[in-house]
Amino acid sequence: MHRRSITLILGAALLAPAGCATVGSREDAAASVATRLLTAVDAGDGDAACAILAPGTVKTVAEDQPCPEAILGKDLPRPGTVVETSVYGQWAQVKLTDDTVFLAAFPEGWRVVAAGCTPQASRPYDCSVEGD
Amino acid sequence: MRKFLRENGIGLVFGLLFLIVLVLQAFAGLAQFNDAQRATGLPDISFWRYVTSASFGVDVAENWQSEYLQFFLFILLTVWLLQKGSPESKSLDKPGRETDEEQKVGRFADDKSPKWARVGGWRTALFSNSLGLVMGLIFVGSWLAQSIAGVAAFNEEQLSERQDPVSWSQYLLEADFWNRTLQNWQSELLAVASMAILAIFLRQRGSSQSKPVGSAHDATGVEG
Repeated sequence: MHRRSITLILGAALLAPAGCATVGSREDAAASVATRLLTAVDAGDGDAACAILAPGTVKTVAEDQPCPEAILGKDLPRPGTVVETSVYGQWAQVKLTDDTVFLAAFPEGWRVVAAGCTPQASRPYDCSVEGD
Repeated sequence: MRKFLRENGIGLVFGLLFLIVLVLQAFAGLAQFNDAQRATGLPDISFWRYVTSASFGVDVAENWQSEYLQFFLFILLTVWLLQKGSPESKSLDKPGRETDEEQKVGRFADDKSPKWARVGGWRTALFSNSLGLVMGLIFVGSWLAQSIAGVAAFNEEQLSERQDPVSWSQYLLEADFWNRTLQNWQSELLAVASMAILAIFLRQRGSSQSKPVGSAHDATGVEG
């Protein structure tokens, strides 16, 4: 078994008695929100896209024009297949075939903090959409 | 009841203080965690969410493992290592595991000796090392817990900084894991060394951890 899976299982075993949502369901929820963002942008639905951005990210995106218009001009890739989802505490990362999305936990569920992210060697991802 | 409290004061008081301080640590840790949440524009998390988080887990476990390592090493090494004049040391003529007669093992056991000290074989061998063994196992368990909670807490921070998470085996090579580990180990080892040496020259009247006030500085293996 892959070591990562063992870690996740041990983590789930430790958290399950505490009544927390399982790691799997949180991963699915994060992946779903990431896909919804890219699908909304691809469909030209800026309102739907901005509704699932984190407040700080909305603020940055809407600096020069309203968020629903600005988000459509951010060159986000089309929604691809989810390749890998990682959830740790209040944060999640969803890797899709053409994009990497970072999300944070809010009372209403996962919200996208950064999208359109490309890896930089040993440095933080470079993201076309992100908060301060 | 009063007799019970009097005869179990050390365990009860330290156990109670442990629980109080653990709760205080949880509140302080929650406040710090939520400061960081707010700094990144994220909402506060609840007390319950925090005490079940990897962040709290690693902060607790990294201290536990070092305490149990301290006691494990102290219990084991003081079988052979001596310190002239220290109440933490055996007398200088008794290094090593000592004879069965000195340890009241097997046929030298007395009427009040535990059964496993008397019966011989694997049970006496196991019982003869049970204190160090259990301390060592708790150390290994809490160090493992530190690594598991640590990788999750580390990865949470990685994601918040838009960086990739690492696997458990990669985390064991990360500076975060060793910094958390070694900063605790050094303080525990300093505490043992300073206690063993300071107790040669200093006294605490009435304490089981000190020599009687009037004992000579070079009196070894004497406890108040």
